[in-house]
Amino acid sequence: MKGKWKAVFRCISFFLILILLLLGCSYVVTPKNNQKAFGMDMVSANGILGEKENTIDVLFVGDSESYCSFSPMLIWEKHGYTSYVCGTPLQPLYDSSRYIQQAFKTQKPKVVVLETDVIFRKYGLGSYLFSKGQSYFSVLQYHDRWKNLSINDFGSAISYTWTDDNKGYRYSNKVVPATNLDYMKYTDEPEEIPKMNELCLLEIIELCKKNDAELFFVSTPSTKNWNYKRHNGVQAFAKEYNIPYMDMNLLDDLKMDWNLDTRDAGDHLSYQGAVKVTDYYSGYLQERFSFEDHRSDAQYASWNEALKRYHQSVKG
Amino acid sequence: MTSYFSLAYLGLFLPAVILLYSILPQKHRWKVLLGASYLFFWSISGKLLLYLVYSTCSIHYFGIWMNAIQSERDRLLLETEKQNKKAVKANYQRKLRQIVTAAILLQIGVLLVLKYADFFGTNINSLLAVLKVPFALPIPQFILPIGISFYTLQAASYLFDVYRGTVHADRNIFRLALFLSFFPQIMEGPICRYSQTCAQLWEGEKIQFANLTSGCQRILYGLMKKVVVADRLNIFIQNVFTDFNEHDGGVTAIAMVLYTCQLYMDFSGTMDCVIGTAEIFGVQLPENFKQPFFSKSISDFWTRWHITLGTWFRDYIFYPVSMSKPLKRLTVSARKRLGNHFGPLLAGAVALFCVWICNGLWHGAGWKYIFFGMYHFALILTANITEPFVKTCAEKLHINRQSTAYHCIQVVKTTILVCFGELFFRAHGLRAGLYMFRNIFTGFSLKTIKDGSIFTLGMDKHDFLIVFVAVLIVFTIGVLRERGINVRGKLSEKNTAVRWAVSYALILFIIIFGAYGAGYIPVEPIYANF
Amino acid sequence: MEKLYEILEEIQPEVDFTTCRNLVDGHYLDSLSILSLVAELEDTFDIVIPTVEIIPANFNSAEDIWAMIIRLQEEA
Repeated sequence: MKGKWKAVFRCISFFLILILLLLGCSYVVTPKNNQKAFGMDMVSANGILGEKENTIDVLFVGDSESYCSFSPMLIWEKHGYTSYVCGTPLQPLYDSSRYIQQAFKTQKPKVVVLETDVIFRKYGLGSYLFSKGQSYFSVLQYHDRWKNLSINDFGSAISYTWTDDNKGYRYSNKVVPATNLDYMKYTDEPEEIPKMNELCLLEIIELCKKNDAELFFVSTPSTKNWNYKRHNGVQAFAKEYNIPYMDMNLLDDLKMDWNLDTRDAGDHLSYQGAVKVTDYYSGYLQERFSFEDHRSDAQYASWNEALKRYHQSVKG
Repeated sequence: MTSYFSLAYLGLFLPAVILLYSILPQKHRWKVLLGASYLFFWSISGKLLLYLVYSTCSIHYFGIWMNAIQSERDRLLLETEKQNKKAVKANYQRKLRQIVTAAILLQIGVLLVLKYADFFGTNINSLLAVLKVPFALPIPQFILPIGISFYTLQAASYLFDVYRGTVHADRNIFRLALFLSFFPQIMEGPICRYSQTCAQLWEGEKIQFANLTSGCQRILYGLMKKVVVADRLNIFIQNVFTDFNEHDGGVTAIAMVLYTCQLYMDFSGTMDCVIGTAEIFGVQLPENFKQPFFSKSISDFWTRWHITLGTWFRDYIFYPVSMSKPLKRLTVSARKRLGNHFGPLLAGAVALFCVWICNGLWHGAGWKYIFFGMYHFALILTANITEPFVKTCAEKLHINRQSTAYHCIQVVKTTILVCFGELFFRAHGLRAGLYMFRNIFTGFSLKTIKDGSIFTLGMDKHDFLIVFVAVLIVFTIGVLRERGINVRGKLSEKNTAVRWAVSYALILFIIIFGAYGAGYIPVEPIYANF
Repeated sequence: MEKLYEILEEIQPEVDFTTCRNLVDGHYLDSLSILSLVAELEDTFDIVIPTVEIIPANFNSAEDIWAMIIRLQEEA
């Protein structure tokens, strides 16, 4: 019996030391600032780390659909409330959850908007576990930085100073017309949400509840990624959990012009499409929440400056 | 779960099986292993699990049948007079041979249809087209269940062994099922014999703490080979072999050497993981590798690389063919005329040819695999034919063939020959392989290294450096083993601090320098597709 | 036994068969020499050596080979 306890004790100490070592390595390879030069991944989505504490009102998360559809600067210009798009290409749902969690550490958004294209992106148990591991040990995410570590990585504190002028929106001046315009053919059938994804959605719901944020689902117009089956799938889920859901693919008011409103034949929105979608959705949120107007608040002066640069870059 | 290195397997499946295995009493443990094996198979191949069930049932039935006939024969032999014994024996031998042939055909037949129908169908059709016959065979497409090439050989070896009387037919179908399907080895081998593993698997030995730690260490070492080296090399190799006509001979030569390295690290790393996993359950699987890159000749190489496949072919193809009656007669008469060396060579060559055709085809249905087999057949045969000549030359020139320098030259020569073989093995078809082979000699240049453009093909300087370091580690351990030093045994004698430090170093080495996560595409296990 | 030594010496003159205990495992007898050996043994001792018997344990030393021959003669 004594031998058994000794073995258990040895096991525990082995793993404790291992965890300490991993945390040490994680500290070394973690980028010390949220810019590319410091080794940061996905800088536009992680620009939120550099925003002043508790200044973001609305958080958008999702895959490329989200960062091609919502431009926070336009919302700022029109309504004066702040938002940020934590969108990354081909984002899996567990990453959405991770970005929401990360935002809650420094921000208190009233609203979290999930772009629904992520809901149908399948992933395996392995990648889910791996992402969980990454959130505890960033060495799993940033291990490749061994290639360009600098002396600073071994001593200085982590401080995020950079913010994105576009607040997560990714601009493109391309326009390529879409052809498959009858992509929303009516059907009763729902597309089933993969089991793993459903678990992750529940996790997100829980997360928002704990942080007093209201969760919204939105499907932005896309002739390539959306259809009625998916609409039905999300609709059913949203109804079950009481989540406000807007499918913009079914909105006639939006007056989409698929010749001009998409940058790549229906997959993602062009700038003109994004303006329409952002305008409509921000108005919808403003109506529900009547956000405070920060435009003349000195605290938010940087947003007005960013807006100037934003207009220049969008025009140019 | 798509490989033994996936997080779902190492992080969830395996720990769950270990836990369940250790809390259940001994008599139920085989159920855990069998259940886990079928679950593993099902999670990858789904309904194709039926093929495995079919194989199990069929060898179970035929084994018992052969056993029944053998005991009938033995009973009858006791009663028969001495002079009639031979006739009785021959009679039963014929019957047994018919049964074993049918049983083997039922095993190999499935493999042939699933794996080779496409290849043979396509080739027959092009032959028909050349002959202007207005007819084409319909070509069926099948999805292969995982590990079919491996478990079919295990099933066949069981049948042969029962036929030869070296093992007793197993009446317990679950035990046979476990022998065929044991989850660590189902995907990539090693190819085990019934007598090697079955009893151990069934035993349900308690998990020993020492076995657990040493098994885990071995898994980590395999993980290092696979994740740090094999996966890091992948993009570079893929680039060069895909756009094979856009690179000069120098790059092609480097890719050839790196591919050989990748194949070894991938396959032997998987074997470390497999054998380490089995070790945890107290099961000792046969080794599949013995420092193959220290071989002094190609035939030596094949006794150190994929050993269980080599011995399978030796025991069930080489000796049966070379010792069949006509070839035996040939050996006797040829020896009288041609002497000791060349006498048995004729029969040996015929048997070798069979072995290498099978070896080539076993790796895949394609001309390049047949070429690969024939390449090694030619090398081994040439070495055998020229052996006396080399010997006299060495004597005349006063070269000591036992000296270290001579051995080094042999090792380097063998490695180069192996690399060229693997070039054809990996190339996109035989034609691409031949092009690349020529290109190495006609288009050789070191330009890309001088101007640094080699670092734009999927591996930068850092990548090359870390691959070099990891290969150096594996090489050093290989040298120690070649000198007869049991590295793991030595390590286990050291005190806790040293052992833990080694484990931590290995884990951190894998985590930091592994080619995984953002920017890397997960790599399929190479041998699982054969 | 004398006959066996004669055969072995003829096939592989470089090895001392009275002392060597790892003929197969030490690579002194390769698969081709075994083919010659088997053919020769069958001729000389009037036995049939089935494929099953071709395992290292039966060929690692002259004594092992001799034991196998005696066994096969008795069985026949």
